Amino acid sequence: MADQVKATIGQRVAQWFVAVRQSVWRIGWPRTDKDRAASMISSLFLHIHPARVSRHSLKASYTLGLGLISAVLLGILTLTGLALMLNYVPYPSEAYRSMKDLQFAVTYGVVLRNLHRWSAHAMVFVVFLHMCRVFLTGSYKAPREFNWVVGVALLLLTLGLSFTGYLLPWDQLAFWAITVGTNIAAYTPIIGDRLKFLLLAGHAIGSMTLLRFYVLHCVILPLAMLVLVSLHVWRVRKDGLSGAPATTDTVEEAAGGFPASTKTYGLMALTRRPTASVEARDPNDEVFAWPYLLYREALVALAVVIVLHLVSLVFMAPLEELADPTRTPNPAKAPWYFLGLQELVHYSALVGGVVVPTLLVVVLLALPYVDRDPRGSGQWFAPERRVANAIFTTVVVLFTVFTVVGTFFRGPNWAWVWPWQ
Amino acid sequence: MSPSTRPTEGLDRRGFFWVGWASIAAASAGFLVSTFRFLVPNVLYEPPSRFSIGLPTQFPPDSATFLEDHRLFVFNGAEGFYAISSTCTHLGCNVKRSSQGFECPCHGSRFDDNGQVVRGPAPSPLSWYALTLSSRGDLVVDLDRAVGPDFRLRA
Repeated sequence: MADQVKATIGQRVAQWFVAVRQSVWRIGWPRTDKDRAASMISSLFLHIHPARVSRHSLKASYTLGLGLISAVLLGILTLTGLALMLNYVPYPSEAYRSMKDLQFAVTYGVVLRNLHRWSAHAMVFVVFLHMCRVFLTGSYKAPREFNWVVGVALLLLTLGLSFTGYLLPWDQLAFWAITVGTNIAAYTPIIGDRLKFLLLAGHAIGSMTLLRFYVLHCVILPLAMLVLVSLHVWRVRKDGLSGAPATTDTVEEAAGGFPASTKTYGLMALTRRPTASVEARDPNDEVFAWPYLLYREALVALAVVIVLHLVSLVFMAPLEELADPTRTPNPAKAPWYFLGLQELVHYSALVGGVVVPTLLVVVLLALPYVDRDPRGSGQWFAPERRVANAIFTTVVVLFTVFTVVGTFFRGPNWAWVWPWQ
Repeated sequence: MSPSTRPTEGLDRRGFFWVGWASIAAASAGFLVSTFRFLVPNVLYEPPSRFSIGLPTQFPPDSATFLEDHRLFVFNGAEGFYAISSTCTHLGCNVKRSSQGFECPCHGSRFDDNGQVVRGPAPSPLSWYALTLSSRGDLVVDLDRAVGPDFRLRA
């Protein structure tokens, strides 16, 4: 009798816990492919993935995982940034003291700051590489034109976030890089001076400028980033993961029917074209996103975190002496990703500061609507895209050369120096 | 009320909505413009643009003095006093005195003794500012009054 009562109580308690768990996770830990696919679809956080992905888009040699790495870096930057905010006062003298505290007094402060700094540099670099990958595989072509535009906006946001963050340490490096940067903005025709006044909240960098950059860096731009990244990922889901080779069945196209891929999988059939068809032309070429995609993502995220942590333990983020508006360091350099522009600005402020960056952005935004030839999408260096790839590569190489020259070959008075001198 | 007896004068339902939407659009535009204007500072807590730099006797004849805090070179030449800004017209760095005039550490712009561009990307000469004497005999710089390179103040 007592045993029976005990068993019943035990069962009831167990059932209660099961009910609680099911209220949170309806499916529980999935043990079959069907359950795993259902989990992918029913979870808010997992459903940014499709239930099944093509083997082609899983190939590391195809995407290089650059979009994923950017997202991981954004995650690291958000977490470390939130932590840093709790030990930072956005007021000139206090800001620099905060930096010194992070460096010498706050437990783990130096590592968090290093992580934030190096992740930010890495993100600019990786987002740029991601754009190169998408171009060289022709992945911006229909139906992904608009997502390319969103991607360009995200690249600009990444630069904006990095630039606004650059001022926050309030050291000489920060002060003069932002002086040079905002003066480049002042060359914009007609609105240039007002733009600079608005950015600085005055005629020179001061406490209001620091507050403005701080709010932009910590609130406004991250919110914009959140919205656009969501849109970017949403479009990837809707338009299909980049670059399944086009194997359009013309008979099916004409009939307006569903391609073969959607007929066997009930879960996929919930979605209509082009969603399912782009991702799943051939059912035999597909694998379940859990585990094939999820585990790879976890592995890449882990690798990024480990590498950055190692880098942050070895290399210190720069911190120079307190900002001094009366003393310009020689040479005064903008952040490295603007040094290509600064090198151009050295020849002509209008060309380097306004014409080239405006042209670059306009051409990038218009690109998928100008190049409407659907051929050559989904493979690296497609022969049909030889001309486009050649032009793009030339521009990238030129920009890289200017950046390298500005970074390593320019010394005092912006005179030419050899890096080993 | 049958359609035939409906009043045709005054505001009908369609017109009412039109006015409504227009009002909402106008109010939204007003809100956006005001919010943008909110971001433009009306008061600046910056150093004054007109300030005293001391008695003329503090500047020896044939000398060039760099006033670090004001980013200003003050010259006492044979024909009188004049002041040249040290802010490079290219991208706002501080120029330094060199044997030929001034040079900018950021992008290599060179200026002659009068601040005129000799070489480099600077688009315009260094600014010259008006000097006056105050009632107490101090030299006063007015950053809001730009002058040409023939300006001299006899003191």
